[in-house]
Amino acid sequence: MSDEALQASRPAGRKSRLQALRNDSPLLLLALPGVIVLILFAYLPMSGLILVFKNYNYNGGIFGSPWAGFENFNFFFSSMDSAIRATRNTVMLNVLYMLTGTFFSVSIAIILNELRSKSFIKITQSVMFFPYFISWIVIGAILFSLLDYDKGLINRLFSTFGMAPVDWYSDPWMFVVILVAANIWKSAGYGAIIYYAVLQGIDTSYYEAARIDGASRIQLITRITLPLLIPSIILLTLLSIGGMLKGDLSMIMGVTFLNPLLLPTTDIIDVYVYRTAIRSGEFGFASAITLYQSVFGFILVLVANKLAGWYDKESKLF
Amino acid sequence: MATMQENRTLIIIFYICIGIFALICLAPFVLALSGSLSTESKLAAEGYSFLPRGFSLDTYAFMFNSKADQIFQAYLTSVVVTVLGTACAVLVTTAYAYVISAKGFRYRNFFAFLAYFTMLFSGGTLPWYILSTKYYHLDDTLAGLFVPYLLNVFLMYLQANYFKSIPHEIVESAQIDGAGHIRIFFRIMLPLGQVGLVTISLFYALQFWNDFYLSLMLISDQNLYTIQYMMYFMMSNIQYLASGNSTQIGGAVIAPPLETAKMAMTCLTVLPIAILYPFLQRYFVRGIIVGSVKG
Repeated sequence: MSDEALQASRPAGRKSRLQALRNDSPLLLLALPGVIVLILFAYLPMSGLILVFKNYNYNGGIFGSPWAGFENFNFFFSSMDSAIRATRNTVMLNVLYMLTGTFFSVSIAIILNELRSKSFIKITQSVMFFPYFISWIVIGAILFSLLDYDKGLINRLFSTFGMAPVDWYSDPWMFVVILVAANIWKSAGYGAIIYYAVLQGIDTSYYEAARIDGASRIQLITRITLPLLIPSIILLTLLSIGGMLKGDLSMIMGVTFLNPLLLPTTDIIDVYVYRTAIRSGEFGFASAITLYQSVFGFILVLVANKLAGWYDKESKLF
Repeated sequence: MATMQENRTLIIIFYICIGIFALICLAPFVLALSGSLSTESKLAAEGYSFLPRGFSLDTYAFMFNSKADQIFQAYLTSVVVTVLGTACAVLVTTAYAYVISAKGFRYRNFFAFLAYFTMLFSGGTLPWYILSTKYYHLDDTLAGLFVPYLLNVFLMYLQANYFKSIPHEIVESAQIDGAGHIRIFFRIMLPLGQVGLVTISLFYALQFWNDFYLSLMLISDQNLYTIQYMMYFMMSNIQYLASGNSTQIGGAVIAPPLETAKMAMTCLTVLPIAILYPFLQRYFVRGIIVGSVKG
């Protein structure tokens, strides 16, 4: 450390600078492929945000198209309804995923922590983790076999109990429930592993002391296990706030196939950009919404970071 | 005594809850498998169930007779993308992770920030799409299916954590013996960072195998369909057929087994993961635990 400080404080001559470059060059070489990927797929797309002020045409591309001033924003505000709908859906779905996902993951982890049969824990954990490995496309196909109007398992069950079948693929609000359930099914087991790992690290003497004091199992869970999990829950929740405006295009495409009947609740920002820009070619407007997503998302990250630092200095991201 | 009794019931309830959730996680796959082993006519009449409706392998026979080429092609594309993508991504990622974990390197904070900033702010889908298609010409190329994903910043940080946990003395002694950074990276860090290497390889492989986004954005050439994209294509197309002209046909034409074919395709897509899962699962769990405890 002191060595480094010494080197830094010494005025760097031409020779030592060359020397340093020679020492560092292998490292620069190792970083190069990664830097290229970052520039191509992260930094240059950021500069593409100038599209907002352009009248995009294919020949001109991002940089050669004529300037449009604030025209795209006018368009943006005049179609405010669809922009608000897309934002509302994105945030609503993400909040629901977050709340239900956390609830199920934490519950599963706490219950697993109470169980004693090692083989039972191992087997059920493996089984619950498995859906995490499956793509949304496959899940969409499987959901179809459950929800199809006349062949789906659920409507079949309904009819055996004398209930009327439900047309799941045409009820946008019912579909929110389905999306949330699908998300729990896919990721609760994965989330539980993280919380379970935290619980495995807890000092057992807490429990022994409480048990001597006559605490019941429920009391052990609510007074010891849950409070010890709360820092992890808060941290993971804060981390997810930054991604509040990011949606999962693959999920919506895989599960709804962009069914127009479901768009009132499933038209998230990413889907909206895909539909308007990439499929229909309305680039200007979609780029306005992309800019809004990027900037607003960035602000959310800063807020989340602030909150995390406020809650616990160690949890700060940067 | 009362609390003992209470505890026992509680534990039984806990076992039942977990058991039920585990069954729910497994059941849909059984449903898909049984669907693929049903006969089309019985399935159409009686709907899906956990036991095959009129057991037959006709659907698989149909798939292998009429669609074999396409399925094989899609499988091949997916395997190539997964293997090639994972190999390249792991190399790019670990190299970058080594650079930002190298002690005493003057620009390590710069490179760390360069990667980190992309997690905070992004240009969004649209500029990415325009650049990828118009400027990099990645549309309808094999490279388009993996190059954009070569550096996952989150996994890169995970790997950097593993590298940082390797004692610095090992690196120092190698440096004294005259080894440069490249040699240290390949001969010392990669072999010693194996837990991390396996974990991020698995995450990348899973990502490439399951990816649908890149296909959706960049691929229109049928020869480059991945298995996921082909599956999506089948699903949305069949739905279109089913909703379109079912009344006009009136059942006179002998239709191909569409419903059961979807389930057969589902099973074929899941198959490689299901086979490898028992071997991979514990690495994933270990990697997640080490990674999450670290940061």
